[in-house]
Amino acid sequence: MTHRRIIHVDMDAFYASVEQRDDPGLRGRPVAVGSAQARGVVAAASYEARAFGVRSAMASVTALRRCPALVFVPPRFDVYRAVSLQIRAIFADYTDLIEPLSLDEAYLDVTEDRRGIGSATAIATEIRARIRETTGLTASAGVSYNKFIAKLASDQNKPDGLCVIKPAQGPAFVAALPVKRFHGVGPVTAAKMARLGILTGADLRDRDLDQLTRQFGSSAGYFHRAAHGHDDRPVRSDRPLKSVGAERTFDRDLASEPDLLAALDPVVDAAWRRIERSSATGRTLTLKVKFADFRIISRSMTRTTPIASRDDVASAGAMLLRALLPVPMGVRLLGLTLSGLGTATPGEPADLALDI
Amino acid sequence: MKATVERATLLRCLGHVQSVVERRNTIPILSNVLIEADGDGLRLMATDLDLQVVETIAATVASPGATTVSAHTLFDIARKLPEGAQVELAVANEKMTVVAGRARFSLATLKRDDFPVIAETDLPTAFTLPAATLRQLIDGTRFAISTEETRYYLNGIFLHVVDGTEPKLRAVATDGHRLARIEFDRPEGAGGMPDIIVPRKCVAEIRKLLDEADGDVAVSLSASKIRFKLGTATLTSKLIDGTFPDYSRVIPTANDKLLKIDVKSLSEGVDRVAAIATTEKTRAVKIALGRDKVTLSVTSPENGTAAEEVPADYTSPEFEVGFNYRYLLDILAQVGSDQVDIHLADAAAPTLIRTGDASNALYVLMPMRV
Repeated sequence: MTHRRIIHVDMDAFYASVEQRDDPGLRGRPVAVGSAQARGVVAAASYEARAFGVRSAMASVTALRRCPALVFVPPRFDVYRAVSLQIRAIFADYTDLIEPLSLDEAYLDVTEDRRGIGSATAIATEIRARIRETTGLTASAGVSYNKFIAKLASDQNKPDGLCVIKPAQGPAFVAALPVKRFHGVGPVTAAKMARLGILTGADLRDRDLDQLTRQFGSSAGYFHRAAHGHDDRPVRSDRPLKSVGAERTFDRDLASEPDLLAALDPVVDAAWRRIERSSATGRTLTLKVKFADFRIISRSMTRTTPIASRDDVASAGAMLLRALLPVPMGVRLLGLTLSGLGTATPGEPADLALDI
Repeated sequence: MKATVERATLLRCLGHVQSVVERRNTIPILSNVLIEADGDGLRLMATDLDLQVVETIAATVASPGATTVSAHTLFDIARKLPEGAQVELAVANEKMTVVAGRARFSLATLKRDDFPVIAETDLPTAFTLPAATLRQLIDGTRFAISTEETRYYLNGIFLHVVDGTEPKLRAVATDGHRLARIEFDRPEGAGGMPDIIVPRKCVAEIRKLLDEADGDVAVSLSASKIRFKLGTATLTSKLIDGTFPDYSRVIPTANDKLLKIDVKSLSEGVDRVAAIATTEKTRAVKIALGRDKVTLSVTSPENGTAAEEVPADYTSPEFEVGFNYRYLLDILAQVGSDQVDIHLADAAAPTLIRTGDASNALYVLMPMRV
């Protein structure tokens, strides 16, 4: 049986590497992209910083405690996006089946081998070389017969690594992996599995599906298939965008109406920037609120017409926020997300608006 | 409390008040109707905190008193009682009994003291409008009221007066795609009134009451409240606390292409070609303006195409413009004359629709990009 050839390409410490590339003074030093402020979060950490235990999504204060010499650099998303476009242009030379997961990560289905290179491994090698040549940055790649294993493989020899898992090796590779490396197994699930004596892919594979279903509900089928090295999900270049938005964590907890409304403004800006960039239109706006006790609630509203301007986002967001006032305790984070998306296609009939 | 009332009278009044009561209420007493009996008869009242309706009806009152019971339940009971029945309402031991013929109901009550009432004091502006005028004012504008909650200041009819040699009372509504404006001579007493936005629900309730009312409607208002008295009903509503945008700048004044067309032929034609627009996606009717005729067409990706030619009076350059057919039909249903003037500029500019330059109503419709 012929199998698919899937490559997962993942840039190494992407944001941090871009910063080190552009500022020689940062090279060889522990760098965190993000804000050093009290409530800041590390968006990306260089390998020098990772050696100290600094991780992305870690609170900046924690990161500084682990690595006092850590240098914080504000993010420059415009630059990251430009680099992302460069690497996607390289991918496009090898296949049309490109599924970007974020700015720095994508699945490629190169089963067709349109350039006649001969093997997926050779294609991955060529892509990595061209990324280095074009952007001055390194990427790791995993090559395998499905998305699940390709993604695990790209992580295997990071940074600047290549890992090929052939179909015959797949089951053994998965069997040896700790379950916490599986996509979808977070700290809570991993701890639960550990209690049940499931530590590796092999442990998971040997469990009865019915028993797993009792323990893990609807995720059990996925865990079971994954543990056998099975994953039929296609690489989808047309994967539709489901939602787009932004959130902000504040320097201090906010509770008063003026403070909260003022704090919503930068969230509106950030959300609208992303909405505009994705050229998405949608009618549903969701406000996410994280309270001081880390409890998260969300409230949404759906309009009859698309949310089509920054003002629309601002007024809908403020309306959702006002409905929650007075808040029972301080608010740590606010987020706004647009969903129910369709992309506005030029030429499709559209109601024009009065300038009112 | 004990009173006897005719079933038909009770039903009619409950019909007026119960529609104010929201089907789902987090505050239990808002589901109830307040019933007060005194020497003059019965007083029924319902509220949603923003809007209240009070009805007074003739009844034989044996002993005065007051209570509140579920409005929808009492309405249902009154509906199902036999025609011509005499209904006895009596309160004892925190229950209200309803007796008619051989039917007997015992209903749970809530204390009347807890019933929220919107104060009807401090309404400095007062004037009267004939019921027919108020009907026209509402019908001419309400279809354009926005339902967009985020633009809450558009969720009602904007009422204001314009001074000058011929002072007017003007009503305006818009949803951002179309705008309707109608004006009447300023009634005595309306001079100097504040600009107000009457919320959609109030408009709907007063319009229902107008179906059964003739004669004059007494209007009293302040910057925050409005009260209508007509017949045996009094409706008091809070107003929308917001600023209506400066709408005058979207009314075009220099549209150079004039289409004169028979209203009936145009609306029937639009309605016919729209028959193939069976999905929400197909909303546009395309109008191709040619010398002394227009061609209406609708293209539906699912169903196919439809076209119809309508004779018209048009001499400007030929061009095509698209409109949301529902919006166009809404307006044509209101113009109330045989012929309508449609003033156009281009396929993306606000279009002015009215029946002659002297008409008291005008409509602005934004085209659709087709």
